[in-house]
Amino acid sequence: MFTFANGVHPKGCKELSAGSGIGRGPEPKNVYVPLSQHIGAPAVPVVEAGERVLCGQLIAKAAAGLSANVYSPVSGTIKGVVGHITLSGKKKNHILIENDFLEEKTFLPHMEEITGESVLARIAEAGIVGMGGAAFPTAAKLNVQGKNVDFLVVNGAECEPYITCDYRIMLEYAQEFLQGVRYCMLAAGVKRAVIGIEDNKKDAIAKLSSLAGDGVAVKALKTKYPQGSEKQLVYSCLKRVIPENKLPADAGVVVVNVHTALAVYKAVAEDTPCYERVMTVSGKAVATPKNIWVKNGTLYRDVAAFCGADENCARIVSGGPLMGEPVFSLKVCTGKGTSSLLFLDESECESKNAEPCIGCGRCVQACPMGLSPVFIERALFDKNYEEAEAYGAAYCIGCGCCSYVCPAKRFLVQSVKLAKKEVRARADKKRREAEKKNG
Amino acid sequence: MAEINQYKVACSPHKLDGATTRRVMLDVLIALLPCLVCGVVFFGLYALMLVVICVAACFASEQVYNLIRKKPFTTDLSALVTGVILGLNLPPRAPWYIPVVGGVFAIVIVKMLFGGLGKNFANPAAAGRVFLLLAYGSAMTSFIGADIAGNILSADVTTGATYLGGGVGALADGFLGAEGYWGYVLQLFLGKVGGSIGETSALAVLIGGGYLIARRVIDWRIPLVYLLTAAAMALLCYGSANEILLQLFSGGLMFGAFFMATDYATSPKWKYNRVLYAFGLGVITVLIRRFGSYPEGTSLAILFMNLLVPAMDRFLVPVRFGQTTKKGAPKPQVMKWAMRGLCLVLALAIAVAAPLVSYTEVAFYKGDYAYIQSVSRDFSGKYVFDVKGTAELGKFSQPLEYEIQADAKSQKVVGIRPITQSTKGYVAELSFFEGKTYDEIVALKDLSTDAQTSATYTNIALKNMIVECFSALDFELGKYTDLVLQEEYTYISGAERSGAKLRFTVSGQADLSSPSRPYFQQLEYVVTIENGRVKYIQTVTESTKGYTVDRALFLGKTYEDILAMTEEGIRADGTTGATITNVKVRDMLLECFESECFASAAGGEQV
Ligand code: SF4
Ligand code: SF4
Repeated sequence: MFTFANGVHPKGCKELSAGSGIGRGPEPKNVYVPLSQHIGAPAVPVVEAGERVLCGQLIAKAAAGLSANVYSPVSGTIKGVVGHITLSGKKKNHILIENDFLEEKTFLPHMEEITGESVLARIAEAGIVGMGGAAFPTAAKLNVQGKNVDFLVVNGAECEPYITCDYRIMLEYAQEFLQGVRYCMLAAGVKRAVIGIEDNKKDAIAKLSSLAGDGVAVKALKTKYPQGSEKQLVYSCLKRVIPENKLPADAGVVVVNVHTALAVYKAVAEDTPCYERVMTVSGKAVATPKNIWVKNGTLYRDVAAFCGADENCARIVSGGPLMGEPVFSLKVCTGKGTSSLLFLDESECESKNAEPCIGCGRCVQACPMGLSPVFIERALFDKNYEEAEAYGAAYCIGCGCCSYVCPAKRFLVQSVKLAKKEVRARADKKRREAEKKNG
Repeated sequence: MAEINQYKVACSPHKLDGATTRRVMLDVLIALLPCLVCGVVFFGLYALMLVVICVAACFASEQVYNLIRKKPFTTDLSALVTGVILGLNLPPRAPWYIPVVGGVFAIVIVKMLFGGLGKNFANPAAAGRVFLLLAYGSAMTSFIGADIAGNILSADVTTGATYLGGGVGALADGFLGAEGYWGYVLQLFLGKVGGSIGETSALAVLIGGGYLIARRVIDWRIPLVYLLTAAAMALLCYGSANEILLQLFSGGLMFGAFFMATDYATSPKWKYNRVLYAFGLGVITVLIRRFGSYPEGTSLAILFMNLLVPAMDRFLVPVRFGQTTKKGAPKPQVMKWAMRGLCLVLALAIAVAAPLVSYTEVAFYKGDYAYIQSVSRDFSGKYVFDVKGTAELGKFSQPLEYEIQADAKSQKVVGIRPITQSTKGYVAELSFFEGKTYDEIVALKDLSTDAQTSATYTNIALKNMIVECFSALDFELGKYTDLVLQEEYTYISGAERSGAKLRFTVSGQADLSSPSRPYFQQLEYVVTIENGRVKYIQTVTESTKGYTVDRALFLGKTYEDILAMTEEGIRADGTTGATITNVKVRDMLLECFESECFASAAGGEQV
């Protein structure tokens, strides 16, 4: 069985939405398309208020450096660039478009020849970002020139409970997805790819195995969280360890998500840019858990209404239950990286009060990165950042395994993340000082 | 749609494992139940009362401490866990105030003053037990008798008898139909022996410990490696595989391994550190038991290792996933491979060494042995005799005990291990005997060690012991065929032969009458003659008052030698009874040499 060390085994809860085929999502009246749906600089609007746009038309251009294009998900009228609340609570600029429900579409120019460079250019043009949640611009990721990369790893692990969108894509868009994987291989210039899928998705494994081949292999991975975390996934699939402070490319791999591969297919073969995505809406507090195509910029409220979210819902989470952000307002809107929206009832989530640590060491045994959360937390409380660093605070991936297992219900991820921030800031400061000294 | 407005915002992760502190503590309490039940069944309701007092003392002192320090009351069950564990560590007939003192000490001094739950550096129960042991030495080592017959001894019968304190003497000879060694093992395993309330029954501990491991409350590595190390150390320190199970099942080792060494706050957090910690526990426990002045070492070992835990946690840090050395190479997983290697070596060492030093007891029952206590043999056919006797050192009679290892085939003494002898230097000179054959030892004349008379007497006693061992071996295990006797004999009642050896059963009476009281001592010996010389004289019946034959007079002698003996020569210093016995034996031997068997055996090989 292919897997990594440590980790946890939360209940999958995928049966809620696993059976529901991918359908159309809500058709909102107004969409608030965020200018910042990706890691990097926000895109720069290229439309004026009052202008009419078509579905699939460029409305904001990638800024210089790391950024991504943004396309209109609907046809309608631009109402302007407005400040709108985001998941983090900060107001950020969104382009407000009023939907005219005409669904008039425009496409990217058709690609005449398909080469590594043209595909890479198309991926950048279509504004594709990592759709597993990290939202790192895919073109930048696949551009591995100068590095000795020989493997593409496709992340089909989907290790977070509840989420089933990648699973449905692998089942329903198997051909398109595989073609997308091949385009990605072309763009990255690699000959071999491996699709890692957790073994709780047996039918997806079977289906893709029968269609794959020719350099693309399917690997069944043990169902364990966080199997889909980049470093863990690469290790599970290829037994390669990505060294600390290094990129996957340094271990000779690039990693893309299932949905990203599908988006690449759409951009290359169907000339459709990235303006909508498949989302899982699940949890016991929704009437009908679903996998649906949701336009970027749809308000959470519209999604909730579409799926019949219960008013007694106890907690709303954007993303999976282990790493997902809590939603404090349904006015927030979806983006390219929003893989799921969970409406959990009382029985599915417990509110917790931190008690004194009993020193059981479960957090140490659970941490997939080999850190010691309990000691990092103690060091943090003592403001002893050297010690926090010695226990590895700087390398936390924020997976939450430590908090998940802690019987004292301590807020370990939060503590470790805080320590990480401080440790990194100190390291940066030290580096800058050293640089200054050396001229 | 109705507006959703009742939801809460809380930080990730939104789903948690079911374990809570209370649940963990509850599991430990559940796991302690079998031990408590066994303790109450074996030692009565008074034992239960002690445990209850201890729990109450722990609980109350924690809450009183909270009250004084103006802290909220604690609702986790950890004080109860400490109370039960400490209570089960007490002797079953301890006075009532002992659990009170122990409980208050464990909770207030060891736990609360260091910051309460999870912050104490030493195991409260182990520290409490050691504190009580130092403060109330005799009360803490008075265990009630080893309930051998299945009766619960009355509350005021206490003894120091545990296996660790008193050896197998503290155990019943047979238990539930199992005799000897396996009887002891079974008895210790079920726990019907003297000891602390909750720790006597290995079975109960295993049930509770198994539950904790299955519930993932404790890390299996700690008890497993602890027991493994203790087994290897027992093998090393006692040189006998038989000791392994006896050591593991006796005293507080099992209880400590599953319930005390696994205490969260005071054991390391990383799994390989736990292996190292458990290894240290195993080594120290057995060292204390074997060489220390306390018969029991578990609590002390736990306390000692507790002190090392912070350093282990700080300096032996897990290797991170993808961690590199300064040069950029992957950081080697030193601890991981070292600890795995350690466990492998321990397991292999036990697997290889245990059969070499495992002994099965051999039942010797025909003869009347002056020295031999028990006999066992190992896989290679080496016999190990446990012999006891005394050496008369002037006014003082020195008890002696040795373990003599003899090889039956080569008739050699392989090794001698003194167990008890003089502490003043009057010790046996082992080089006289070790590596020598039976015949060489019989032929030894001068046993004096540089003018130390007392040492010489010890040597003589040891020689007699060795001679008895070999004659017992031949007597019990020699394969002889019966010979038919034609003539009438005064003493000879049977004759057998095996190769060049002839063996006669001789019996008669020695007239040990005193003027006031007539007394005839029945004598019966088995005499073996080989190549015309007396090889063994094995006693079947003779005086139990010391009027016994002096073998040194006859062994190795020929017919002519014995015929030439005068009564003066065989007079035993001062004791007429012994002299009379010796004279009788001389007559018996002469009759053997003169018998038809001897004549025919000497004349030709046909009988
Ligand atoms: S410390 Fe970081 S990497 Fe380790 S389990 Fe916690 S969140 Fe995950
Ligand atoms: S899991 Fe929680 S209680 Fe256990 S050691 Fe870690 S922080 Fe402490």
